Parts: sequence; C-alpha cells; structure tokens
Amino acid sequence: MGILDKKLSLRNRSKMLVGVWEDEDKLVEATSALVHDGIHIHDIYTPYPVHGLERIIGARRSRLARVAFLCGLVGFTLMTTMIWYMYVLDWPVNVGNKPVRFTPSWIPVMFEGTVLCTAYGMGFIFFWRNRLLMGVKNDLLDERQTDDRMVIAIECVDGMNESDVLNTMKSNGAVELRELNHGVQTTI
Amino acid sequence: MGHGHHIEIKQETFVIPARAKQFSMIFMVVGLILAGIGIAKIDKSAAGHDEHAKVEAKAEGHESHEAAKGHEEHTAAAEHHTEEHANVMTEKFGPRMEYHTIEHPWQTKIWANLLVAGYFFLMISLASMFWITIQYAANAGWSAAIKRIPEAMSTFIPVGFIVLLISVFIAKNDIYHWAHYEHLGLKPGQEGYDKVLDGKSGFLNSTMFFVFPIVLVTIWMILGRRLRNLSVQEDNGTKGDITFHTKSIRTSAIFAVIFGFTISFMAWFFIMSVDAHWYSTIFGVYNFITHWVTAITIIALLVAYLKSLGYLSIVSNEHIHDLGKFMFAFTIFWAYIWLSQYLLIWYAQIPEEMYYYQIRFEQYKANFLTNLVMNFCLPFALLLMRSAKRNRYVLGIVGTIMILGHYHDVWFMVFPGVFGPGMQVGFLEVGVFMFFAGLFLIWTLTALTKRGLIPVNHPFIEESAHHDVGV
Repeated sequence: MGILDKKLSLRNRSKMLVGVWEDEDKLVEATSALVHDGIHIHDIYTPYPVHGLERIIGARRSRLARVAFLCGLVGFTLMTTMIWYMYVLDWPVNVGNKPVRFTPSWIPVMFEGTVLCTAYGMGFIFFWRNRLLMGVKNDLLDERQTDDRMVIAIECVDGMNESDVLNTMKSNGAVELRELNHGVQTTI
Repeated sequence: MGHGHHIEIKQETFVIPARAKQFSMIFMVVGLILAGIGIAKIDKSAAGHDEHAKVEAKAEGHESHEAAKGHEEHTAAAEHHTEEHANVMTEKFGPRMEYHTIEHPWQTKIWANLLVAGYFFLMISLASMFWITIQYAANAGWSAAIKRIPEAMSTFIPVGFIVLLISVFIAKNDIYHWAHYEHLGLKPGQEGYDKVLDGKSGFLNSTMFFVFPIVLVTIWMILGRRLRNLSVQEDNGTKGDITFHTKSIRTSAIFAVIFGFTISFMAWFFIMSVDAHWYSTIFGVYNFITHWVTAITIIALLVAYLKSLGYLSIVSNEHIHDLGKFMFAFTIFWAYIWLSQYLLIWYAQIPEEMYYYQIRFEQYKANFLTNLVMNFCLPFALLLMRSAKRNRYVLGIVGTIMILGHYHDVWFMVFPGVFGPGMQVGFLEVGVFMFFAGLFLIWTLTALTKRGLIPVNHPFIEESAHHDVGV
C-alpha cells in the first residue's frame, strides 16, 4: 500500500508489545502507569474517544482542522471559478435584469461548495490517515478494537525492560497481552 | 468519568468589586450626559422632515409618491421596473404610504432610542433565559457551572420591558405608521385608504399591540422565575436529590416550546411594524438570532470577567472555549439568516419587499456595510483560530465589537424606517446605549450576589467541573 504513510503501518515494525483492555478506567490507569515509568507509547486504539488519554500520552493536536480549512479553500475556489465560468464567461443570462458579474446569488453556490468539499475532504482524509478507507488493508491489532476493546501498542526499543512493561500492563487490568512481529501477533 | 484528578466543589459568594460599581456608575452618568448633549443638539425647530412629510396627500397615487421620494436615486433599469410594478401595485392595493408626518419629530427621536435600548436589553435577557432552558432540555452537563450568569442576566426582563412599553406608549403614533393610520379610521374608497394596512389591522392594532406582548412577557417571566426558584431550592436541598432537576427540565421544555413559537411576536410588533407595509417571513428568526448571539457573547464576557476576579474556581478555559465556539457558530448563523432575508428580496425584486433594503442600501450605505463587518466579517476572521477562542482578551475585544454591532443592527432596523433618510448614530444613541449598558451590568452583578455562584447540588456539576474539550 504505497499510498499510505509508512510510519503509520504496523506491519513493518520489528517488535511491538500489545495490550488489550475492556475497561476504560483501567486503560487510563495503565497508560498513566506506563507513562510514569518512562515508557514511550506508540499509540492507543479505542473505539470511542476516551477523555484525558491524549493529555496523558502528550499527543499533539490533530491537524484535521488545517485539513478542513484547506479543503474549504479548495471548495470555495472551485465553486467560484465554476460559477464565474458559467455565468460570466460562457453563457451570460439576463435574469430579471440582474447584473452579470459577482452578485449575491453566487453566495449560496460558493457556501454550499465550501461546506461540501470541507465535509467530504475531512471525512476521506481522516479515514485515509487511519487506514480505514475502503480498499486499504487495515492492520487492526484486535478484531474488536473498533467495537468494545481498547489497545495499547508499545514499540520495543533498546534498553527497555520488556517483562517490566508486560507486568505493568498485566497488573493494570490488561485482558490479553501479545507480541507483534512484522504483522504477526503471538499471544504471550 | 470515574478517573482524573479530584476537583473540590464549594460554594462561592460573589461580592461586587468597587471598581465594577464605579465603572457602571460612570457608564450611566456619562451616558446620561452624552444623551443630554444629543438632545440639545437635535434641531428642534423642524416641525417635520420635509422630504418625507407629505406623502399622505396622495390622491394622484404614484406621482406624489415618486415626488416624495425624488431624492432617492435609482439605476435607470431598476427605476423603470419598479415604476411599472408600482403602477400595478397601486391599482391593486392602493398607493403605498412609506413615511407619515411625525408630529413631534425631536421627541420621537428620544423615544425611538429608548425603544431600541429597551427592546435590545429585553431580548438579550430573554435569550439568556432561553439559553438555560435549552441546556436543561438537552441534558447538557458542561454548562452547569456557569448557569448562574444567564440566570442573573434574565432578571433584567422586567426593566427592559417597562422601558420598551413606556417608549411605545408615549410615542406610538409617531413611531409606527400603522398606529397613525389607525386613528384616521378610513373606509374603502375614501381618500388615503390603505389596503395593506387595513388588511393587517386585524393583527396590527393598538389592543393587540399592548395585550399580546404583556401576556407573553408575563408567561415568560413566570416560567423564568419558577426556574430560578427551583435552582435556589436545589442549592438548599441535599446532594443527589434530583427532584428539582426533573422539575427544571419540565419547566424548561414548556418555556422553550412557548418561547420558540412566540418570540417572533416581539419582533413583529415592536420592530417590524415600523415598516408596516413590508413583508418578510424570516424577520422573527433574524431578530431572535441577533439577540441570541449577543446574549451568548455577554455570558462569555461575564464568565471571563468573574474568572479574572478569582471566582468560578471550577470553570476552566474549556468552558470559555465552548462559549467562544458558540459565539463563532452563531455569528455564522446570523450571517446565514441575514443573507437568507436579503437574497430572496434581492432576487424577487418585488417593490413592497424591496423598499426596506432600498432606503437602507441607498441612503445608509455606511451603516449597511458596518453592520456586516461588525457582526460577521470581523468576528468570523478573529474567532476562527482555536487559540483565539481560548484567549480571554481576544474574546473581550471581539465580544465588545459584536455587542456594539448588534445594538447598531437593532438601531438600523428602526431608525431608517421611522425617520427616513438622514439619520446617523450620534451622541444620543451612544449615550442611551451607555446608560442602559451600565444599568444592565450593575443589575446583573447585583443579581449574582443574591445567591451562591455555583449550583453545588446540580446533578451535572461534577461533569461540568471535569469538562474537557481535548487537545
């Protein structure tokens, strides 16, 4: 899948530790404990937004708002050009003696075009970045992570005590622990 | 949320800081002085404004009509179209009267200013009441901590309404064309008979004009008082008791339904009937949204102000951010409704709809554009960034622009309609606004001292204290 950012794919990772939770509060506690131990968390996958998680792992602000602004700008330009071409350049029509240049009647077209492009652009780019777009092979760490389970993924780095990490996850309510190796998961 | 840090919820008692007292007193005194200067500056010799005085003698129909508005410039094409259409309309409905003789021109200016101020502050206190009720009806948790501020603002309803009633009671016949016409008691076929006004007289007459709003405001006030009382009873009750909350939801639902169906009457009676010949179906919504966005702005500014004084310990930047989003969103909605009204009238080009915009666009171009810039362009550009919505100072500046802009919007709905061309915002307008702004501020702050600042037994107070909009 060349269309995707390689960074986001989990299949190319050499070794990762994966913990699965069923309880939101325990997940937050486990995350706090891991961050407290100085472990770098690769990402957390939850079926719905869990309040406070993003602050604990120090996630950056989503850039989706900028994407939305750019999509809106594209839509605005596209629709303005379109209506200008149709209404002024190609086929000027005298409607009730209204002037053939920019008029208030253009505004609904420009507005709707902006909204349309923003909504669709945001939606598609969001799913694309999350590998959930149709046709993209997703790499869900757990079949139920889009349903009722929450997953923490930690990349193994030099000097990390793996058994300590596993113990922390286990003692904080992980229902399953796995190891991920180039896309292949093995239960620990 | 069962996790996160613990936030202690304790009652706070608000004491008006001496500076706020001084500030509002200075505002009121300076307002009075400016209004006095404004009154002194009015040209009292004019017995009536010539350019729109004698439209009533109009047996010739559209000749005198055209002569009276000869000062207005049209484009050739538009004039031709309008004239033809006007002829058809004259045959069909009788000649239109746009302006009538104002018997007391300079006193009317004062009363019209009071009408604008009373209406504006009445409507924003009603809108803040409505704000609480939709929070209840939607089961919203985040807003529980700041609930007392709109509650305090809503206590201004009687003051605004009394000012409004006094001004229209005294100057009704001069401000409202239809009230003037009502006294003539003309029958069909008589000279000066106006079919449009006669057709509307079943609704637009002096009895309805006073009875309807008084009944409506009384109902709203009773429900609002009940809601405020329930809020106090909840404070005095025990934690975990949701009987008062359930009652509040029920009262809110009743209020919201009644209010939603009847708020347009205020706009129709007091503002839209200034242009009694005019038709616009969206005018009630437009008036509501104007005051709604102003009320939210004032709530946001008061929250930021109380926060800067060290009150509202459980309120964080997250709440201010959400209020900023509200301001931003309804700024766009205001522009949407504004355009919806303008666009259809512009497109259809029907004279009896268009003359409202004709005078405002041709004679008041600066005000027309100021209205759009202050109420849409500036707030939209300045509040677009997330960091702007979380910054008290930015909100303060943008909020002030919006409050002034929307007051000017109401002024702009009334004055060109009553006086015709040539009005401008002067000392009187600024003075009246300053006086009532100062009064509103000190009134609201006094109401805040009457009860605890935090609804400690509100079932959602914990949720509100932990409110978080994310990174």
